[in-house]
Amino acid sequence: MAKQEKSYEVTDYGWLVAMSFVFLALVAIALWREVFPSWRPVQKTFRNDLQKYAGVEKADSFQIGIKQIWIPKINVVDRCVTCHLGYDWGTILPATLGEPLMPHPNLPYMDKHSFQQFGCTPCHGGQGWATTAEAAHGDKGWNDPMLSANLAKRYGLTRGELMQMRCNYCHRHDVATSGMEQINAAKILFKAKKCIVCHTVEGRGGATAPEITYFGDKDPELVDFSHVNGARTLFNWNYQHLMDPDKVSPHTTMPTFNFTPDEARDLTLLLLSWRREIFPPEYIPAPLEASATPTPTASATPSPAASPAPTKAP
Amino acid sequence: MRERMAKLWRAVTWTWSPESERESSEAIVRNLWLHWFPAKITRAAMSWNYSMWLGTASASLFLILTITGVMLMFFYVPSTERAYGSIKDLEFAVSFGRILRNQHRWAAEGMVAIVFLHMARVFFTGAYRGQRAANWVVGVLLLLLTLLLSFTGYLLPWDQLAFWAVTVGTNIAREAPLVGGTISFLLLGGNQIDQQTLLRFYVLHVFFLPLLLWILFAYHMWRVRKDGGLAAVEPIRAERTMRPKEMPATKSYSMFGLTPGTSVQVMSSTDLEEQDLVTSSPNLTRRVMLVFLAVQNATLLAAILFNAPLEEAANAAVTPNPAKAPWYFVWLQELVASTTVRIGPFTISGGFLGGILLPGFLLMVLAVWPWLDRSPKNAEGRWFAKTRRNQNAVFAAAIVAIVILIIIGVFLRGPYWKIYLPGTPRPEMPKVF
Repeated sequence: MAKQEKSYEVTDYGWLVAMSFVFLALVAIALWREVFPSWRPVQKTFRNDLQKYAGVEKADSFQIGIKQIWIPKINVVDRCVTCHLGYDWGTILPATLGEPLMPHPNLPYMDKHSFQQFGCTPCHGGQGWATTAEAAHGDKGWNDPMLSANLAKRYGLTRGELMQMRCNYCHRHDVATSGMEQINAAKILFKAKKCIVCHTVEGRGGATAPEITYFGDKDPELVDFSHVNGARTLFNWNYQHLMDPDKVSPHTTMPTFNFTPDEARDLTLLLLSWRREIFPPEYIPAPLEASATPTPTASATPSPAASPAPTKAP
Repeated sequence: MRERMAKLWRAVTWTWSPESERESSEAIVRNLWLHWFPAKITRAAMSWNYSMWLGTASASLFLILTITGVMLMFFYVPSTERAYGSIKDLEFAVSFGRILRNQHRWAAEGMVAIVFLHMARVFFTGAYRGQRAANWVVGVLLLLLTLLLSFTGYLLPWDQLAFWAVTVGTNIAREAPLVGGTISFLLLGGNQIDQQTLLRFYVLHVFFLPLLLWILFAYHMWRVRKDGGLAAVEPIRAERTMRPKEMPATKSYSMFGLTPGTSVQVMSSTDLEEQDLVTSSPNLTRRVMLVFLAVQNATLLAAILFNAPLEEAANAAVTPNPAKAPWYFVWLQELVASTTVRIGPFTISGGFLGGILLPGFLLMVLAVWPWLDRSPKNAEGRWFAKTRRNQNAVFAAAIVAIVILIIIGVFLRGPYWKIYLPGTPRPEMPKVF
C-alpha cells in the first residue's frame, strides 16, 4: 500500500512540475506579444527616418508607444497615428517615404481641418480604436470601412471622389463646396430633377416615395437585391436603381431619368452621405449663398497649429 | 557567501513533507484556507477515473473568472455610450487587456461546459442518492447560477452579438405564462434593451450572482464533507461492512458473561480502514494545485490562441442575420424555432412550449430526481451501474439530444435560420460597400 501512495507522489509531482513549466512558457508568450506588437518595427523605422531627415535630437525625443488623437467632442479615438507617424511632418519628411510613414499631403483645405480637431477616421473611415493594420483598415467586423483606392476602384471612382461622401457628412447643407465636385454635381442634379416632388428630405417633399433623409443609414439587409448585378452592396443597389429603377424595383413609380453612369455615381455618393452623424455645431460649416465664393468655412473654433507630438495613449 | 547561497537555494526550493500524520493533519486543520478539507481522504476519491476532478476544475474556473473579472472592472464602463469603446480599448490599447478579456471569456464558456459535465458525472455515478440528495439540488442551483452569470456577462460588451443574443433570451422569458412580461420588464428595466438593462445586467454580473454563487459553493463543499465525502467511498464502505470478519481472538462478553456470536462493535466496521486513506496534506493539496494549474494553463492557452468575439457596436435598428442566443441557450432557440407552427397566415409561437415548458419540465425533473430514483443502494458511487442502466440511458439520450441541437444551432444555422451543411456556400450578407 505504501507503494501506491508513492505513485501518487511521483506522478502528481511530475505533472505539477511539467504544468508549471507550461505556465511559465505561456506567460512568456503573453509577455513577448505585449512587448513586441506589430507596430513596434514601424516606429523603429520611423525613428531612423527622423534621425536621417530631422537630426538626432528629434529622433531622441520620439518615444515608442501607442499614439492616438483623442477628440472626445466627436467621440473619436484615432490610433491610426501609431503607424502613420509622419502625418504632420510634411515640412521635414519627404512624400517619397511611402506608406505608412509618409506625411499627409498638404491639400488646400487642410488648414481648415486640423488633425487635432478632426483626427483621421472622420474623413477616411476605418476603425480608429485598432492598433493592428488588419483591424484598422479591414472591413471585416467593422461597418465603416476605410475608404481606400481599391474600394473606390470597385465602383469606378477615385479615392478622392469616394471620400467626398464623408466630406458631405458636415457639408450637407452647402450649396457648393470647393473640392467636392462630384457631390456638387449631384446636388445640382438633385434639384434639377426635382427629387423632392416624391421623396421627403428633412421634412420637405412628397409622400409618394420613401423618405430619404437618412438614406446612408439604411440597413442593406432590408433592400431587395434579387435584381441587382454584382456585389450585394447598398452602393450597387442604389447605382443600378438610379440607372434603371424599373429593373431593380419592378413596377416602381420612379421614372427613368437616363442618368449617365457618372451622374448616377455622383447621386449615389450624395445619398450615401446622408447619415445621422452627430457633429457639434462648430464642426458644421455656415451656409453659403450659391453666388458666394465656394470656399468652405469649416469651423468656427480656431484650431491650434498641429503639434508634431500627438497625444499619447493613456 | 556560499553558505548564504545555499540558504537562499533552500528557501527557493522550499518543500513540504510532513513527517508524521499528526503534522500532516494539523497542516490542514490549523490552516484557515485548508480547514474545509478533511485531514485524510480516501484513495477512491483521489482517483482520476472516478470524479475526473470536474468539480475542482469548475471551482478553479470560477476563481480565475473572479480574478480576471475584478481586473476587467477597472477598465469596463457600464454605459451604452462607453461600454463598447472600453472593450475596444482593452483589446487594442490596455497592456495585457486583450489576453485578460480572452481568458475571462473562454473561462466563462469553459465553466458552463465543465459544470454541466460535472453534473453528468454525478448522475452517471449515482452519487446523488440518500443523504447527498440535498447537495444535488444545490448543484442544480449552481448550474443555473453559472448559466445566469454567463448570460448577464454576454450583454456587457454591448456589441451586436451581445445585444441580439440577449434580445433572443429575454424574448423567450417573455413567453412564460402570467409572469413572463413582468420578468422581462424586471430584467430589462423597461420594455427594450437600453441603459437600464446594461446597468442591471452589470450589477447582477459583478455583484449579486457571484456573491450568491460563492455562498452556495461554500455550502456545496461543506455538504460534501458532511455527507461523507465523494460517493466513491460507498462501495468501499459496503465492502468493509459486508466482508466476513475473522473471529476476534478475544471473546465477546455480555453483561453477565460469554455470549455466542460477535458483538456489535465487531460487526459495525463503519469506519474506513487505514489502507483506504491517504493524508490530505500533501496528497490532496498538491492535486488541487495541479488541477488549478491545468485549468489555468488551458484557459491561458485558449486566450493566447483565440480572440474573444466582438462584433460591431450594438445597433437596435440593424438585426444580424441570423441572431443567435449564446451557445448554451441555442438549443432552446432551436426548440422555439422548431415548435413554432405556421398555419396559413397565423403563427403560433413556440416560445412557450420550447422556451418555457420543456426546459422548465427538464429542470424540475432534474431537481427532484433523487427522490424518484429507485435504484438499489449498491449502485451508488460506481460508473454506469447495471441497475441504473435505464435511467442512465434516458439521461444520456437527453444530453445527446441537447448537444445535437446545440451543434445544429451553432454551426449549421445560417442566414434566415436555414441549415447550411459544412462546405455549402452561405449567401453573402449585403453591406454598404
